[in-house]
Amino acid sequence: MAALVKENKIGKWPSDLVLDLYTNLLMEIWEDVSALIGEAILELLFTLAIRKLREKYPFLISLKVSEDGISLNGMREELRNIPPIEIHRGFQGLINHLSHLFSALAEGVINKELFPKVFPKFREAERIVSQK
Amino acid sequence: MSFEIKEIIESAGTNLPNLFDFSSFGVLWKEGLLLYIYQDKSCPPSFTQDVVKNMVRVFSILGEEPADADKLTLQVEKRNFRPQQMVMDSKATLKSHLTLPLAVEGEIIGCTSLNSDQPNAFDAQDLQFFSVIGYQMASTLKHFQRFSSVKSMAIYDTLTSLYNRRLFEERLGIETQKSFYGGTPLSLVMVDIDHFKKVNDTFGHLEGDKVLCKIASLLKDSVRKKDTVARYGGEEFVLILPGAGLEESAMIAERIRRLVENTPMQIIGQAQINLTVSLGISNFPIHRPNSKEELVKMADQALYEAKEEGRNRVCIFHPEHG
Repeated sequence: MAALVKENKIGKWPSDLVLDLYTNLLMEIWEDVSALIGEAILELLFTLAIRKLREKYPFLISLKVSEDGISLNGMREELRNIPPIEIHRGFQGLINHLSHLFSALAEGVINKELFPKVFPKFREAERIVSQK
Repeated sequence: MSFEIKEIIESAGTNLPNLFDFSSFGVLWKEGLLLYIYQDKSCPPSFTQDVVKNMVRVFSILGEEPADADKLTLQVEKRNFRPQQMVMDSKATLKSHLTLPLAVEGEIIGCTSLNSDQPNAFDAQDLQFFSVIGYQMASTLKHFQRFSSVKSMAIYDTLTSLYNRRLFEERLGIETQKSFYGGTPLSLVMVDIDHFKKVNDTFGHLEGDKVLCKIASLLKDSVRKKDTVARYGGEEFVLILPGAGLEESAMIAERIRRLVENTPMQIIGQAQINLTVSLGISNFPIHRPNSKEELVKMADQALYEAKEEGRNRVCIFHPEHG
């Protein structure tokens, strides 16, 4: 927490912090889940989840997904104009929808691995966005 | 579903029991609206129903248009692949499953599932393994889907779905060989829609195409199973009638003539119209053709006579008029 405040003081945007957090989390999800169901199917599920949420959170369209992985490059500038709470909600919605898809496909098999990683990050994101 | 695609699914179903412990394996094939379920003999109907519902549910969640279970053709294969002591309860229900989309190049062509009457029957390793199998199955199915569609384009007329001229030539070659060497009768009927140009000129080509399709379907419904109906070109069709003598082929031709005459064609924005057809018949051995080309020429000559004599009639080839 102290580190975050300090970074804020030296000028790091809160939106950057939220983006960094979700970049790491999404990369981790990609690593873990692609090992279970393959890149092609995972790409498809990411695409479905983004399609589902793109109207509510248009910035998610800039999230690039391919069989090689996900890329959040190029989102940073765009996200600086969006309140950090919205960024957090958008990514949280995306991950929740992905979890819903994983659960539809494989019940608890995938989510069992993911939940312990995801929830602490959600809490951390909430802490960042609640800081004034 | 083509033979090759059924083979692929069956082969997977046969090999999966060596790799996983499951009660049933399903493949939902979007193109053919087919749900193929390969399951243990002891699976009760309640379990099968659960599997169907679950696969349709997952397929809908995957973002495809809501799948309607009633529209699917269900094909269930039962095999003995579980040991005797693991026979399922007659009231068993679906307790766990792994369902994966069958996707190629970002397109979902269906989904596949492993199902069990036991809770938590599958783990991460099963999922990993099943996804590899699913990926390979999707690629193979897609390959055969493409192959089938190319094969279909090569033999069918795209407008009427009748056989095309190329297939007709090939089939006629085979049938004439059989008849010429075996001495069995063979008849050929050429059919031409009367005044078809007027339909196109008056109502437009789209309506003309509809008329062609309607007449193609009447022709298809009027022949025997062993006969071949093909679009010869434009508004001309041809029928190969193996084993049919002159009398039988004249009967079939007359039936077609009457059927077309009495079937009103619906033209958009207009009252119905009635069309007629002219037909010409040639036959082996009666007309003594020496080749398939000659058989065609004779039927064509008879068709010409039907037109000359006023249309809407059946004419049999007559050597003296040739």
